[in-house]
Amino acid sequence: MNRFSILLARVMVTGTLVAAAIIAVGLLWYLSAHSSELPGDHIFRGEPKYLENPVQMARRAFEPGVVGERRSLVMIGIFLLLLNPPIRVFLAGAGYWMERDRLYAVISAIVFAVLLVSFFL
Amino acid sequence: MTEPLFDIAVAMASFFAGLLGALIGLGGGIIITPLLVLCFGIDIRYAMGAALCSVIATSSGAAAAYLRDGISNMRIGMFLCIATTIGAVCGALLAVVMNPSVLAVIFGVALLVTVLLSLKKKSGALVEPEGSDPLAKSLRLPDEMPVAGMQVPYGVANVIPGFIVMWVAGVLSGLLGIGSGAFKVLAMDQIMRLPFKVTTATSNFMIGVTAAASVGIYLKKGYLDPSLVAPVALGVLAGAFAGARLLTVAPVKLLRIIFLVAVSIIAVQMIARGLGVSIG
Repeated sequence: MNRFSILLARVMVTGTLVAAAIIAVGLLWYLSAHSSELPGDHIFRGEPKYLENPVQMARRAFEPGVVGERRSLVMIGIFLLLLNPPIRVFLAGAGYWMERDRLYAVISAIVFAVLLVSFFL
Repeated sequence: MTEPLFDIAVAMASFFAGLLGALIGLGGGIIITPLLVLCFGIDIRYAMGAALCSVIATSSGAAAAYLRDGISNMRIGMFLCIATTIGAVCGALLAVVMNPSVLAVIFGVALLVTVLLSLKKKSGALVEPEGSDPLAKSLRLPDEMPVAGMQVPYGVANVIPGFIVMWVAGVLSGLLGIGSGAFKVLAMDQIMRLPFKVTTATSNFMIGVTAAASVGIYLKKGYLDPSLVAPVALGVLAGAFAGARLLTVAPVKLLRIIFLVAVSIIAVQMIARGLGVSIG
């Protein structure tokens, strides 16, 4: 498992840093269009549906004229961040599978399945 | 206050929360949510969504160091993640139908319990590998850890009770948008009687995976506002990194006492907020 642990560690750190960078750029991009507005998180109003769809977010983030949707770029970074743990579990499971450790390949698969299902609930 | 100024203030508070979390061994999530609610007047649901994202960020960022040291027990972590992820899904489903005021009260209580847990002395009593729970043996949970250049084996006790407490930790994580590290440590340290270093490293691996199980539900319910998540996650992440560096030079014991008192006061204010009483 040792070589695998190091690979896992690299994936996690790189993933986190890339996601953080995108979030930071996205935040600046968003703020550059909203520099004089008041913050609006005091009242809960939910978030629009397209913020669940990475393809739509990517399109909207750079849509000319629709500056209100620049925070979509931030959301893409957040998505990358959120993908980190499932990837971690998947890689660990694959590692167990290659080591012919069936018991732990199955345990990892169960955890991965719960994560997957939770995204569709 | 305009949005850029507000975001800078939020990022600074988040940095402080992450730093504090790393220094006194509480997660950033359980500190940042009350800060956002009490100091910035943010709705608790947005605060929880942002905190949960920051928990995933710090767990992923820190896991690397732990994995490289080889002290985290991946088998235990993965096995217990079955309990925490299912718990987290239950907790998140509960959170989205619960009244925010009730959430605030539960949050305050969980925060107080966390403070009490972190004051508790670590149990030194380990189990010998031979004395492990039979279930632990068949799951191959006992392992060894490096101590002063030697590989020292350790045993694992009470697998089923530990699994159940982990489920509860998962429920709290999903319900409150926290990593619930203190509760995970409780299960592994006090109940399964693992060495403390193994416990903290393994708990860190589990926190991110657990949080990921409820974040999808938060997203669907609109708890993740990107313009709030961004300053919070970036701030907490930077604070956690700084905290890990400072850990060796900071007067940790004194800081712990000061901040645990401060966190207790915050907890009481959270409860008061939920009950609709205003104090202080």
